[in-house]
Amino acid sequence: MSARCPVWITGVGAGTPLGHTYRAIADGLLAGRSGIRAVTGFDTSQHPCRIGGQIDKVPCPPGFDEAAFAKLLRLEQLSLWCCDAALRDAGWWEHRGELRLGVVLGIGAEWLVQWEADGLAGGNGVFHPERDGQSVIRKTCEALQLSCPAVSVSAACASGNYALAQARRWLELGWVDVCLAGACDIAVSPLSLAGFGNLRALSRRNDQPELASRPFDKDRDGFVMGEGGAVFVLERAETARKRSAHAYAEVAGLGASSDAHNMVIPSPDPEPATAAMRQALADARVNPGEVDYLNAHATSTPVGDVAESRVLETVFGESLPRVPVSSTKSMTGHLLTAAAAVEALACVIAMERRALPPTINLTQPDPECALRHVPNQAEDHAVRVAVSNSFGFGGSNTCLVLKAA
Amino acid sequence: MLFQPVPRGELAEGLASPTRDALAKPTRKDFSRVKPMHSSSLDSRGQTARCRVAGWTAYRVASADLPSLRQQPLVLQGTPLAPSFLKHADEQTIAGLTAVAKVLREHGLEDTDFSQWGVIASPRFLGRAALAVALSRFAAEGAWGISPHLIPHRSLHALSGTVSQALKIHGPNYGVGGGIDGAAEALLAASALLANDELPGLWVVLTGYDPELVPGDPLDNAAQPSAANCMAVALALIPPGKGHAGPVLSVGAGEGGCDLADLTLEQFADTLANGEPLARWNLPCGGWAAWDDTETAVEICL
Repeated sequence: MSARCPVWITGVGAGTPLGHTYRAIADGLLAGRSGIRAVTGFDTSQHPCRIGGQIDKVPCPPGFDEAAFAKLLRLEQLSLWCCDAALRDAGWWEHRGELRLGVVLGIGAEWLVQWEADGLAGGNGVFHPERDGQSVIRKTCEALQLSCPAVSVSAACASGNYALAQARRWLELGWVDVCLAGACDIAVSPLSLAGFGNLRALSRRNDQPELASRPFDKDRDGFVMGEGGAVFVLERAETARKRSAHAYAEVAGLGASSDAHNMVIPSPDPEPATAAMRQALADARVNPGEVDYLNAHATSTPVGDVAESRVLETVFGESLPRVPVSSTKSMTGHLLTAAAAVEALACVIAMERRALPPTINLTQPDPECALRHVPNQAEDHAVRVAVSNSFGFGGSNTCLVLKAA
Repeated sequence: MLFQPVPRGELAEGLASPTRDALAKPTRKDFSRVKPMHSSSLDSRGQTARCRVAGWTAYRVASADLPSLRQQPLVLQGTPLAPSFLKHADEQTIAGLTAVAKVLREHGLEDTDFSQWGVIASPRFLGRAALAVALSRFAAEGAWGISPHLIPHRSLHALSGTVSQALKIHGPNYGVGGGIDGAAEALLAASALLANDELPGLWVVLTGYDPELVPGDPLDNAAQPSAANCMAVALALIPPGKGHAGPVLSVGAGEGGCDLADLTLEQFADTLANGEPLARWNLPCGGWAAWDDTETAVEICL
C-alpha cells in the first residue's frame, strides 16, 4: 500500500455518540466525556447487555428535504450526513459535479440491517428479493449527485482503514481527483445486541453505563456497542496545495494482514498484527520511536486488550514507554464497522488540537497491559505522527499512520 | 423512488435543494481562501490496472445440494479442512470456497504458497435465509434465540475471512459490494489493490443466487425455500509481468463506452464458463473491465 504521492485529508464529516460536528466530537473526546448510556428505541429487558453508544437523530444535511430524509434508513441518513459534511468541509461541495469524485465506504451488513428493520416493523422484505433495491453507497451517490467510482468495503472493525487504503490507491492510479473515504455503522439493533451479547463479548455493567467501556482496565468485562461514522475527503497534496486547502493530515501509511486463525477469536500469535503495524510504519517511513500518539484498537475485552499490548511491545520495543496510548472506545463505545474511521478522526483531532484524548475509566491498569497510558484526562501533547490500530472479525489487522501535512 | 438522480448543475426536486444560506459553511475555517479547481486543471488520464488470471472457475450448485456440501470437508492443497470448519458458514461461503478448491485443482495451483496473498470477496445479499430464521426465533424466544454466529458469518467480510483462514492467507482480506453491483465493485477494488505490485497474488471470489433465493418461512412449514442455483466465481490474480500464461483482466475507472453492457455476476460467470476469449463491460459502480484470453494478452501483460 505504498504511496507514490502524498495524499492529504482535506475534509471531515462525522456522527458519533459524542456529537455530529468536528468541534463537538473533538470537545467531547478531549473532555473525556462518555457517550454510553442505556439503550433506547427498543425493549432490552431480555438482553444480557442493555447499554450502548447510540446516536439518536442524524441531522438532516443543509438544504435537503427533512421529511424525505426522515424516511431513510438511519444508516443511509448517516452515510449521507457524513459525506455531505465532508465535502462541504473540504470546500468541494459546490464543485463536486466538476470532479472525478470517488467514494469508498466501509459498510458491513447493510442488508441485514435493512431486513431486520423491516422485519421488526412488521414487514416481510427478507422474503421478497425484488424489494431489495440499491445499496447505501449508490443511494448516497445519487443523493449527492455524484457519478463516480464507488464501492462498499467491509473488514468488520477494520473497514475504515481499508476504505482509506482503497481511496489512496485510486488517487495514486489517477482514477479520481478527490475521494470520499470512511465508514458508517448503525449497529445497536435488537438482533445485533442479542448476537454480540450471546457471544459473551459485551459488557454487562448495565447499571453503570458510563463506566462500562474500560479498555486496559483490570475490571473490564467486554465491549460496549456504539453507532456512528466518519468520512474524509482525500486528495493529492499537489491538488490541495494548488487550491490552498486546509490539510488535516497526510495519509502516510497503511498496513493490513490476516490472522488466518479464527473468524471471531483474535490470534494468540502476535505476528500477523505486528506485521500490519510494521508495514504501515514502513509505508509512512516512520520509525517506531517517532510515533507521538497511538489510538489502540482496545475494545475493553479481557483477551483482546492483552493481545494488542503484546503486539505493541513487539513493535515498539524500547520506545514503548514513550509512546502515549489511549482507546477512545472508552468514550464512544465500539463502533464496529465504523470504528477505524472514527478512530482515524480521533488521531486527526489529536494532531490538530495538540492534545491526546484519554482512555476514560482506566482506574486500575491491567498489569498485562503495561503501556504509557493517557488515563482519564486529556494531555497537552504535540502530535506530528499518529497511529491507529483496527482489528476485526475475519482475522483482519490494519494499521493507519497519519502525519502532519 | 426516494432519491432521484439529478442532472449536474441542477437542483433536485424536494430532497436536494441547497440554498445559498445552507451552503454557507458554518465552520471554523476560512473558506474564502479556498480556490475552486475544475477537472480540466486536474490530471484526467488515470491508469489501466491489469492483472494476469492464473486460475479461474465459474461454479454453480443447486441450493438444495448445499447442505450436503457443508458436511463434506473440502480438501485444499492436499489437506482436508476440519469437519466443523464450515459448520456456521453461510451457504454462499460454502459455494465460494468450493470454487476456490476447484481453481486449485484445475489450474495447477495446489502447491502454491498463498501466505502473502490477499483475498477480496463479494457475496451478494449474504445472510438472507439466516436473517429470516433469526427474525422468527427472535419473535418466539427473544434475545436468547439469536445465534452468536449470525453477525460474524453473515456480514460482508465473512467470505473473505473464511477463504483467508482456509488457505492460511496472511495478506489483506475484506469484503466488497454486497448488493446487486457487488461483482463490479469487487473487480474495481481488486485491480486497484493488485496494481501497486506489493502482493504476489490476490483471490477474488464472487457469489450470489440465480435467481435470488427466497427463504422458506420458518413459521409456515408449507413455505419451502425457492429453487435457486448458487453461483460462485473464483479468480486467482497475479500482477502482470510474472511470466505466467493466462487471460488478462484489465480495469479502468474512466468511461467504458456507451455500447457496453453492465457487468453482472451472471454475465461474468457465463463468459468464464463459455470460454469466451474477449469480453468488455461497463462497471455500474464506475469504470470498465475487460477480459482477454487471446494471443495478444501475452503482449499486453509483458
